Amino acid sequence: METQDQTSNLSETLPVISLSGVNKWYGDFQALSNIDLEIKLKEKIVICGPSGSGKSTLIRCLNRLEAHQEGTIHVSGIELHERMKDIDVVRQDIGMVFQSFNLFPHLTVLENCMAGPNWVRGIDKNEAKKRAIAMLEQVKIPEQADKYPEQLSGGQQQRVAIARSLCMQPKVMLFDEPTSALDPEMVSEVLDTMIELAKSGMTMICVTHEMGFARQVADRVVFMADGEIVEQNSPEEFFNNPQHERTKAFLDQILK
Amino acid sequence: MFVDTVIEDKALHKPAFLIGLFVAVLAFFFAFNFTDTFFGEFLRPVIGEPKESGFFGRLAVSIVLAVLFVLNLFVISFFKLKGQIAIVWIELFLLFLAFAYSFDLKMSFIQSRIGLMISQGLFTTIYISAVSIVIATVIAIVGAIAKLSNNGFAFAIASFYTSLFRGLPLLLQVYLIYKGLPQIGFMVDAVPAGITALSLCYGAYMTEIFRAGIQSIPRGQWEASRALGFRFSLIMRKIILPQAVPIIIPPTGNQFIAMLKDSSLVSVLGVWELMYLARTLGQRDFRHMEMLLTAAMIYWALTIVLEVIQARIEEKYKQKG
Amino acid sequence: MNIKLSLNNAVVVLLIALFSISMSAKAGDVYDYIKLDNEILIATDANWAPFSYIDDDGVMQGFDVDVGREIAKRMGVEARFITPAWDVITAGNWNMRWDVSVGSMTPTASRSEVLNFPATYYYTPAAFAVHEDSTLTVPQLSGKTICTTAASTWEMYLQGDLDMLNAPAFTYDVTPGTITSLVDGAACLDDVRLGAGVRNDGMIDSLPMILAAIDAGYPIKVLGDPAFYEPLSLATDKGNDDPELDAELARIITEMQKDYSLSLLSIQHFKNADGTSADYTVSY
Repeated sequence: METQDQTSNLSETLPVISLSGVNKWYGDFQALSNIDLEIKLKEKIVICGPSGSGKSTLIRCLNRLEAHQEGTIHVSGIELHERMKDIDVVRQDIGMVFQSFNLFPHLTVLENCMAGPNWVRGIDKNEAKKRAIAMLEQVKIPEQADKYPEQLSGGQQQRVAIARSLCMQPKVMLFDEPTSALDPEMVSEVLDTMIELAKSGMTMICVTHEMGFARQVADRVVFMADGEIVEQNSPEEFFNNPQHERTKAFLDQILK
Repeated sequence: MFVDTVIEDKALHKPAFLIGLFVAVLAFFFAFNFTDTFFGEFLRPVIGEPKESGFFGRLAVSIVLAVLFVLNLFVISFFKLKGQIAIVWIELFLLFLAFAYSFDLKMSFIQSRIGLMISQGLFTTIYISAVSIVIATVIAIVGAIAKLSNNGFAFAIASFYTSLFRGLPLLLQVYLIYKGLPQIGFMVDAVPAGITALSLCYGAYMTEIFRAGIQSIPRGQWEASRALGFRFSLIMRKIILPQAVPIIIPPTGNQFIAMLKDSSLVSVLGVWELMYLARTLGQRDFRHMEMLLTAAMIYWALTIVLEVIQARIEEKYKQKG
Repeated sequence: MNIKLSLNNAVVVLLIALFSISMSAKAGDVYDYIKLDNEILIATDANWAPFSYIDDDGVMQGFDVDVGREIAKRMGVEARFITPAWDVITAGNWNMRWDVSVGSMTPTASRSEVLNFPATYYYTPAAFAVHEDSTLTVPQLSGKTICTTAASTWEMYLQGDLDMLNAPAFTYDVTPGTITSLVDGAACLDDVRLGAGVRNDGMIDSLPMILAAIDAGYPIKVLGDPAFYEPLSLATDKGNDDPELDAELARIITEMQKDYSLSLLSIQHFKNADGTSADYTVSY
């Protein structure tokens, strides 16, 4: 298929995702205003900001779970817009991990992981199963394969969700506050998994408040407030030398 | 309902409640005057000729009945839950049998015709209901999806359909389809007309059940599926409907049971289903109650079977979850 | 959520398929189709002994049914009986679901707007009946509650609006206070048996039917002389007029009258109040 050819021909220097002048409103409320952002292959971006700043909205626009109204968003060179034909093909190459896990409760852990490759990638069951087990090993819970999601802890569920996305062999992974719904003692197991993933060279865009993770992994930290990108910088610069008052106020609060 | 962990004293073991209950029951039996029945006959040694026993006889019968009733409840209250349920069921069933017995039924008459009622009547009833249920389910799935879609055309058709077919009495729909469709060139016989009416009517009710079931699936399931690149029909088939089914089953089971009995409305078109034969088979010998009660028992037995099946399916989904 | 129209289309196709299974393009020459199918479809009541009823083996029996079978035999085709509700038959517009009604239908002016009456084959008296404990007389039934079959000539009689064609003269002797119109006469019998004035004060139906009920042990009695005699006819659908069929039906009935086979059937099925056999096939 044409779209797939385009994605596989990407070079590392071209942006895998680029946003230009993106605006989005919910009724009268402007959720995103004039967002310009480019993300290159293998780059790790952390997006942070106070609640209501539009960071979740932004990341959900990248696979068009939300629609933007103005500006352009390109993923792998394909523009996302409401009349596009193959949004499902674009989405297959973008993994997404949600705050509330969103595993399929009627399927076992293994079936959750096999579903994507088997149903939409057209990979046969045995192959999909092999891949699913490999990914479950990567997130370190192969022994839970035959359980149903509700039998697992929150941290385990989130790691399954990551494995489920990885089974699609995505080009990009989106993380939408992946640790916010977890009990404190489970946060680190999920972050460890994400750090492992980062080391393997995955392109990652993470909305998170975990600043330790940002310091350790991010190539760039993007700070948003009131729907705008206020500041973006390397982690050292961002944490040690924030430029804007709002950034300083935010960091003061979160690192207190 | 969740039962509390604290057990209250049984009301039946409080004297005040027992006396109050006794008075209420006594008043009930006195108001309805049972002297003309078996009970008056039973008390003949005490009250003399029941018809002429007057106020005393009526009061005596009422007291005996009220004592029996309250004593019965009191005794049952000492059993365990399962025992209570079994005893009450058996008692109510015996009362029903007594009611049937009061019609002076001729069992040989029932025996000579029950074969036909089952081979012809029951078969037709099950056939009509089963086909209608399958079609109604298909209609309900499509209708529910249409009602939830943002396609104005589909929504308009689906909402008009549910409004119309939930708004008309089923009997009227049977007539409209049987008499109306031939006017526009579709010649339908009685059985297909009945099936069409039942399917459309129950499809409309089940559309609302399915819609509610689909809507109850959290938005996150849609988003996770879309994020994996699933298309609409795949999401519906593999993610949403399988999760909606356990929610849909109890009200749908109710609809199935109701439809089984509403299929009797097709008898106005001369279809020889259970209700039609119940009305007609006793006619030559003018023994209608025999046939009506036989049909009643068959319908009831069928309903119990459906209830058991429904409970089994619910159990199965509970285990899986 | 976006509706996939293909799903909708599938259902439309399914519904059309369902209808077309039962669709038949028959129209016009009813008699030709009878010959073609080698079968005549006869509409009759299944709840009206001794005229027509279902026997223990699930087979239609009774006077009307035997007449129907004889008609089919003389046409040289098979008889098949269909048992729709009475008011569905009298409403006309049969759309060729059945070819002829052999159901003791009285020709009336209003019915003749939608139906043809090719041949009258017998005459029955209509009579009032009350519970055996009742002390009422026929004139006293005026103002009382009377039960009868919906859309029947007896109902028309009670309403003072009986416009029979070619019928013996009669007078309206009773003007009920309330008319209870039920689906069939059997339902009225069961109401009247409950006691005088319990649900109804009396009923009106065909005399042979009332006598059969009394035979079966119903605690009821016939009241006075017959209210009226009604001619009973075959009926065909005016909406699908076929003079050829009507002529054939008339010819067969005349033939059956001439060779007394009609009288024999009547004697076989009907009795008078005194127990003697009744020949209702001659006009009073």
